[in-house]
Amino acid sequence: MRANLKDRRVKPSESDLNTVDREICAREPIQIPGAIQPHGALVVLRPADMTVIQASRNAFDYFGEGVTVGKAADGLLGSIVPRLAEWHRSVEPVMQVHIADTLQVTAHRSGPSIVVEVEHTPPGQLEGLFSKLRGFAQLLTAKPDIAGSLDVSARIIADLTGFDRVLAYRFDAEWNGHVVAEAGNGALPSYLDLRFPAGDIPAQARALYASNRLRIIPDAAYAAVPIEPATNPDTAGPLDLSQAQLRSVSPVHLEYMRNMGTAASMSVSILVDGRLWGLISCHSAHPHSVPVTIRDACDFIVQSLAMRIAALVHAEDGASRVALSRISGRLLASMSGSFGWVDGLVAIADDLLDQVGASGAAIVTEDRYLTAGDVPDEDQVRGIVEWLKTRDDQEIVSTASLSQQYGEAEDFAAQASGLLAVRISELYPSWLLWFRPEVVRTVQWGGDPHKVVHESGRIHPRKSFDAWREQVRLHARPWTPAELSAARDLRGAIVGIVLRKAEELAELSSELKRSNKELEAFSYSVSHDLRAPFRHIVGFAQLLRDRETGLDPKSQHYLQTISDSALAAGRLVDDLLNFSQLGRTALNRKPVDMNKLVAEVVKSVTIRLEGRAIEWSIDRLPPAYGDATLLRQVWFNLIENAVKYTRPRNPAHIAISGEAGHEQMTYRVVDNGVGFDMTYSGKLFGVFQRLQRAEDFEGTGIGLALVRRIVERHNGSITATGEVDRGASFVFALPSDIKKGRAIA
Amino acid sequence: MPEIRPILLVEDNPRDLELTLAALEKCQLANEIVIARDGAEAIDYLFARGIHAERPAGDPTVVLLDLKLPKVDGLEVLDTVKKHAGLRHVPIVMLTSSREEQDLVRSYELGVNAFVVKPVEFNEFFKAIQDLGVFWALLNEPPPGLRSQNAI
Repeated sequence: MRANLKDRRVKPSESDLNTVDREICAREPIQIPGAIQPHGALVVLRPADMTVIQASRNAFDYFGEGVTVGKAADGLLGSIVPRLAEWHRSVEPVMQVHIADTLQVTAHRSGPSIVVEVEHTPPGQLEGLFSKLRGFAQLLTAKPDIAGSLDVSARIIADLTGFDRVLAYRFDAEWNGHVVAEAGNGALPSYLDLRFPAGDIPAQARALYASNRLRIIPDAAYAAVPIEPATNPDTAGPLDLSQAQLRSVSPVHLEYMRNMGTAASMSVSILVDGRLWGLISCHSAHPHSVPVTIRDACDFIVQSLAMRIAALVHAEDGASRVALSRISGRLLASMSGSFGWVDGLVAIADDLLDQVGASGAAIVTEDRYLTAGDVPDEDQVRGIVEWLKTRDDQEIVSTASLSQQYGEAEDFAAQASGLLAVRISELYPSWLLWFRPEVVRTVQWGGDPHKVVHESGRIHPRKSFDAWREQVRLHARPWTPAELSAARDLRGAIVGIVLRKAEELAELSSELKRSNKELEAFSYSVSHDLRAPFRHIVGFAQLLRDRETGLDPKSQHYLQTISDSALAAGRLVDDLLNFSQLGRTALNRKPVDMNKLVAEVVKSVTIRLEGRAIEWSIDRLPPAYGDATLLRQVWFNLIENAVKYTRPRNPAHIAISGEAGHEQMTYRVVDNGVGFDMTYSGKLFGVFQRLQRAEDFEGTGIGLALVRRIVERHNGSITATGEVDRGASFVFALPSDIKKGRAIA
Repeated sequence: MPEIRPILLVEDNPRDLELTLAALEKCQLANEIVIARDGAEAIDYLFARGIHAERPAGDPTVVLLDLKLPKVDGLEVLDTVKKHAGLRHVPIVMLTSSREEQDLVRSYELGVNAFVVKPVEFNEFFKAIQDLGVFWALLNEPPPGLRSQNAI
């Protein structure tokens, strides 16, 4: 498996050195070793005249006489020359022929030459082979998933070849390997779940594996047989053995095998859509050879497996696309709902995570912080957002190793080694963050490390696993292009929704502005024009009364009624205007001495009272923070009400008190007047709501509505309690100075 | 005895005009009441031009100026007068039907001398007009240089 010569004393994290090492290894010319393994012989022919131009030193052992470099093939080899010539004219890549009962000859082209390989074949290889293959085919088609297919394939290969252990590897997108299935007799330790870094199988080895599907080393302790002469006379270069079955392998690879306690190995490539998807890798503790026929059967098995995998991968791909589009649809529907995009996403947290295959997600907006799944602490997430803000990039930031770019992330690598962040808005930045955990925290090697007794030397799987761990430390599974595009799509959807909402809001607000303006203009003209006629009525009635001194009492009463009605209407207009102006004028907030206000109001109210006995009880009041003019109006209306509704009392009691709290100041006006029925307390603060008959108590029905509006504009609250004929109590609370910053109406 | 100068009353509404005149009458002021029915006429009087080109010389002792007026409204009249070096000293009392915050603020910005909301209650209205008349016509002393200038 291993073709990487790397000094393990170099710390793997020193990635520069790592890269240099790998590059050196990657240049190792593994396809032109100039020698073969000794379990067969190799002869190179010139197609034009079938002259032997190169031969392995042991060719005589297989073909006997007739294999002489520089002479035409003769003897046993010569007997198949006509068939070789016929094959060479065809397009078939490989020719196989059985000769002398015990020899299996395989020919292929290498450059301008024909390479003939020969191995001994023990008899009786085909016995039972086809029934086993049929059984395999049935099992394979019955397996619904990739894991099961790999398992079935590993088993039959172990059965057919007799290897002690058969592993199925799968490569990820970065060419890191993962043992996903295993079969065997227990003679070798389990490597199930073993991981190894991409560097363990360098690029040129992978290229070789992709073109030559099956390699075998029956005995790792073999003595290589040289090919003579070393240089191909027709190409003036070394012989390319990349397609040769007998090719001698890299000494590093042999060391690797010895270190992991294996004496024989065979590997078969799993090619899916032309790409090296994985490997079936077989090992034995002792030298072990596999006849060509069985190797061909294994090749067939693995090709069947590859087709099955391709079908499953495509089906999975299609299914995941469908699932993803369903998820997108659900997310979109949820976001467009009444909740808005933030709550819409969090409402279906699983879909939010599945959209990009994340384990955690956080949404950070100006005033909201929401999470789903496994995420770092809020402070840490906010730290990430601050870091993102310092970057002038992009709507989408993605990394599989956040700590490489943002050092603090090492603290919470377990939750967020992988980050996929999308910025929603430029003006009021909102962030949607997805997280993935560090890979090594999610993966452990299933094999029991104590059982790996054979491993020794510089390079072996245990060290590969460590190297892989080191390589993926602080790394998460990378975000695939499909996942990034899903994130981009979701961002597009969110932006669309945000923009649509913003447009709706803008439209609404401009409508509101327009109608507000109309209302203002209306109120302004009302304030001037509506008041005037009442003034005229009152004025002229008065002039008439002054002039007509001899009016009888009835006429005087009529005149008085005209005046009174006009006055009442005028007051109503004044109150209404006051009330409507309150919404339009800005609050002028300052510390207000409530004692002073109350003293003034009480004075101005009592000045008009003749013959009323009122016992006032006025406590020291805490200062308020608000608009003095408006607060004076509050006191005036409440105190005037208290005075008005205690008219039948002699004496009347009116108590004014207040208390300072940490967050709010509370003020109280209590009287012993006619009170009110609590059933109607809801109507008390409504405009034009009156709980008393007009002839008993005058009023416009706006006073308390005005009071509540003022208090609420100060972000305060007011409540009233009362009992018929026992009195009423009004309590209002205003936010204290401390809370003023948050108390903007 | 100071020279008696007229009061300029600028009012478009005939009923308000009548009531105001009735109120001023009761004050028994010696001042002549000059009436202008819109802002343009008020300015003509103050600048002694147009239909008032031939009026006797001298500025009014006070201008009682309604806020809402046809043609040129009260605020514009106020602005024009207060921007004119020769007229700036003429006291102007803005009379208005309602206490609109914006009008109040704007009037004082433009340099109004007083701002009075006409009360609905006749007695109050009467008293307000009377007070204004007495204050500006009798009690208030105009700047000294001006009196001599006008006296000439």
